[in-house]
Amino acid sequence: MIEFWTRFARNKGAVFGLVVLVGVIALAAFAHMLFPQSPWRMTGAPFQPPGAQPGHWLGTDTLGRDIAAGIAHGARVSILVGLVSTAVAVGIGVIAGAVAGYFGGLIDTAVMRFTEFFQTIPSVVLAIVLVAILQPSIESIIIAIAIVSWPPVARLVRGEFLTLRTREFVEAARVIGQSDTRIILTQILPNSLSPVIVTASLMVATAILLESAIAFLGLGDRNMMSWGYMIGAARTVIREAWWMSFFPGFAIFITVLAINLVGEGLNDALNPRLARQGRQ
Amino acid sequence: MSHVTTRYFCKGVLGAAAAAALSLPAMAQDPVDGGTLNIIINPEPPILMLGINQQGPTQAVAGKIYQSLLTYSKELEPQPSIATDWEMSEDGLTYTFTLEEGVTWHDGEPFTAADVVFSYDDFLPETHPRWRNVHNRLASIEAPDDHTVVFTMEEPFPAFLMSFSVDNAPLIPKHIYEGTDYLDNEANQTPIGTGPFKFEEWNRGSYIHLVRNDDYWKDGLPHLDEIYFHVIPDAASRAAAVETGQVHMSRAEDIEFFDVPRLAGMPNLEMTTEGWEMYGPLGWLEFNTRVEPIDDVRFRKAVMHALDRDFIVENIFFGLGNPATGPINSATLFQDPDALVEYDYNLDRANELLDEMGLEPGDDGVRVSLRLLPLPYGETWDRLAEYTRQQLSEIGVDAEIEAADAGTWAERVADWDYDMTFNYLYQFGDPAIGVSRSYISDNIRRTLFTNTMGYENERVDELFNLAAGEVDPEKRQEYYSEVQQILTDELPVAWLIELGFPTIYDTRVHNAVTTAIGTNETYDDVWIEE
Amino acid sequence: MATLEFVARRLVWAVFVILGIIIVNFILLRLAPGDPAAIMAGQAGATDEQYIAQLRAQFGLDRPLHVQLYTYIFDVARLDLGFSARQQVPVADLIFQRMPATLLLTGVAFLFSLGVGILLGALASRRAGGWADSFITVLALAAYATPIYWLGLMLILLFSVWLGWLPAYGMATIGGGAGGLAYSLDVARHLLMPALTLGLFYMAVYARLTRASMLEVQDQDFVKTAKAKGLPDWRITRAHVLRNAVLPVISYAGFQAGHLVGGAVLVETVFGWPGIGRLAFDALLQRDYNLLLGVFLFTAIMVIVFNIITDIVYTLVDPRIEVGR
Repeated sequence: MIEFWTRFARNKGAVFGLVVLVGVIALAAFAHMLFPQSPWRMTGAPFQPPGAQPGHWLGTDTLGRDIAAGIAHGARVSILVGLVSTAVAVGIGVIAGAVAGYFGGLIDTAVMRFTEFFQTIPSVVLAIVLVAILQPSIESIIIAIAIVSWPPVARLVRGEFLTLRTREFVEAARVIGQSDTRIILTQILPNSLSPVIVTASLMVATAILLESAIAFLGLGDRNMMSWGYMIGAARTVIREAWWMSFFPGFAIFITVLAINLVGEGLNDALNPRLARQGRQ
Repeated sequence: MSHVTTRYFCKGVLGAAAAAALSLPAMAQDPVDGGTLNIIINPEPPILMLGINQQGPTQAVAGKIYQSLLTYSKELEPQPSIATDWEMSEDGLTYTFTLEEGVTWHDGEPFTAADVVFSYDDFLPETHPRWRNVHNRLASIEAPDDHTVVFTMEEPFPAFLMSFSVDNAPLIPKHIYEGTDYLDNEANQTPIGTGPFKFEEWNRGSYIHLVRNDDYWKDGLPHLDEIYFHVIPDAASRAAAVETGQVHMSRAEDIEFFDVPRLAGMPNLEMTTEGWEMYGPLGWLEFNTRVEPIDDVRFRKAVMHALDRDFIVENIFFGLGNPATGPINSATLFQDPDALVEYDYNLDRANELLDEMGLEPGDDGVRVSLRLLPLPYGETWDRLAEYTRQQLSEIGVDAEIEAADAGTWAERVADWDYDMTFNYLYQFGDPAIGVSRSYISDNIRRTLFTNTMGYENERVDELFNLAAGEVDPEKRQEYYSEVQQILTDELPVAWLIELGFPTIYDTRVHNAVTTAIGTNETYDDVWIEE
Repeated sequence: MATLEFVARRLVWAVFVILGIIIVNFILLRLAPGDPAAIMAGQAGATDEQYIAQLRAQFGLDRPLHVQLYTYIFDVARLDLGFSARQQVPVADLIFQRMPATLLLTGVAFLFSLGVGILLGALASRRAGGWADSFITVLALAAYATPIYWLGLMLILLFSVWLGWLPAYGMATIGGGAGGLAYSLDVARHLLMPALTLGLFYMAVYARLTRASMLEVQDQDFVKTAKAKGLPDWRITRAHVLRNAVLPVISYAGFQAGHLVGGAVLVETVFGWPGIGRLAFDALLQRDYNLLLGVFLFTAIMVIVFNIITDIVYTLVDPRIEVGR
């Protein structure tokens, strides 16, 4: 553990990212205390630039809702969607990849063809179509993002399994008669976890970006304030009110940046032998 | 006048622009012949055959190609178009129209009363849902001679005279369509009408080109040589096109409402919300009155008190339109402001009403949770839904927004699968055509734009019925006044706004909006300054 | 011979993917809520059952699903993508009408991202930790984290609203008229920001890939041999390292190129660019099934074509690659 932290801390960017990320999570967690009013509430005059009205230091939107409150509450949606959809995607990906890599042969071909098929369809378009068909809601957004995100995990896990399944300790487990499920879960999976964790951390970032894009296009959950929604709603008034789209976009930028940096730090800490090559 | 003008001109360029803007209406200028008018059209119409498709953009383009018997002043007085004269018999059962002579179709064939009979008795009843409603009231349509048409009604229906605008009753050439499959006729792609402009070319996704009809039946008209309708799918591009003068005119919802004040304030542009009197669009929050606790009139009154209609008009609709007060738009006939029950913006009163109902807030402050289905017609309506949700939360009503695309929205409203939604309807001049359909119990149907609210009141049914068949205008007013009083007391819907759709046009364009159908007009008298 | 067999196998696979995509999309979209007939009727301002039924029959929406699917596949085989219910024109027409705009945008964005990306990556790999290396590291971090649509908006804010240098929307000035050089320049001015927005992310990706790939190749024996022979640095880079390092980048880029069309949905929406992406989004909101299916099919084919071309180019250029993979 200490070794892990030392390696992680050697990457200054990662430490910076972690600090920012903790800040964003704190903002999300304490949004209701920092901004007790609903972010949908019209607390000021419409179209106020940052600082023009006391209490609205990031300005107000077209209806007089506080931008800062929106950003704080929007952090919740971003983090929620990012984490949950990644968890689902990793779940699907690990199962598909493990099955394909462990059993090989026809099963492997079938699963990998299926994965390839999914990767053929541009993910942004597929996600949008899915959300529209399932009707826009936080659940449908999570499902859609998970469905378009799992293939890389599957490929990664399959690769790990292909190499690991011939190792001595797996052979040994097989010789003593352990079941396939048990071997997968207790022998191979734990040993292939490091790259999965790194990939998952980066997927959270991608999921946040994708969620914001969906909300930007007007397919977000209307009951939850989100950053993408704020930009989408402010897009049309960008001539008159730059702050309405600038700040939420910057919030996405800094959050995703932080997660990516943390991901690289994790990579350094978990996969020291790969660290030199950088991320591909 | 000249003194004033001179003084302004002395102030230089800025003054000159102001003077031009100020003095134009007063200066009697001679129309200039020639020139090209560029108008935005959005969304692109699916087809230009007005008898088959009556979407807004289709009307605007095809209104220059096709014509009908009448048009209407902004006060909704019938005006001559193809008909020169018209007369109702005293019993209100027979209408006789005299037709203009010397009218020809764009392909050179003469236009006669037989075309009118074909259009109104054969073609439109099959393809045009609104005309079908009119046709159902008719006993016969006959043409005693080439220039006279006689309509006989089953029962008196004075609103009949409001049914002849070009969008509702376009005249269709008999010689092209008789005996064919109307919907599948190839001629639908090359519309032939009697109007001042002929169809020339349609470059899909780009523009529709109409050219002057040199054989137009009004001598010396039209002034313009040609009209281009430019398809510009992106809202911001449309605004830029108007702003920079690349097009002369935008109509309806071409320009997003938030952009209208800015464009209206530009010296080279003029903005009006006139020209929609025939349609009288009225927007409301629609209740499903079958759902608890919405079925309680006190709940509906509380909602009405919780929504600040001035705020809605000013901040959500950017000042376009007026706060609505009742079921009849003030532009429509027979509106009676004195008969209406009024509701001020008053959250305390709203909370009182809900308390009175025994609808107590729970620990989280929520009295009841309901579904709110936003109208999927763009940003303005999204903001309205967000505003409504927020206002309702102030009185302990949790409204969950269920965003839906246009198809889902239409399907769910038609299926009564909603608690509250937004909607806006056209009124078509007379309450008997565009108002009663939303409130009479006969029209509680699983179809969009009917009484989907499920509102029932026998007296309301009776009054609308009496008024529709009443020939005497004074009596009709009495019936309509009473019905407005009842409806504003019972609130089948919460009326929010009389929508004001902006027509924004270059100051050099004259006669852009002269009648109750605004930009759907033929434009034979429109001209552009050099 | 092996190459031929490989190409043939890829083509068979492509046909299956296309068929799969048709079926999957068809099922997804037909089962989606929202009835196109109801939408059209709604837009016409007044609706009754007879009118809706009429519309439904008109567009074949009243037939059983499997019949509709069968008809659709059969039509697609004859390059007939059906009729857009909303716009009342053949879907293929609409797509081909919008295709040039999207091809132009994605093509320019692709070439830009690949060209500049490889250049930056090559520069960066020459001296690890040098300015170019730091630059692409920072750029890549920023590009990975920036929402593409937001980048577009900020560019509009800067270059259109504040500086007034570039047009914010559309593909050409409306009423700009005649063709020729002036028109091309006009389009180029409109293209600059969308292409940059769309290409920036991939540029960062390719720069990093190139860098990593070049570092790897530099360690390989043949480069060491070349160095030992005393060849000058730049010649080694050009003749040996770059060529070998760039191939996997191009291969990867080919794989990604089709996905540019997906990114184009957002970019085209922001910049009002009249292409396929914008068409897809509009079709989606209007529940224009045939059109949406057509656009999907088209995007999928684009991806597959790009992939196959890349595979073939790859095998032809680099005989060392084992095509049987």
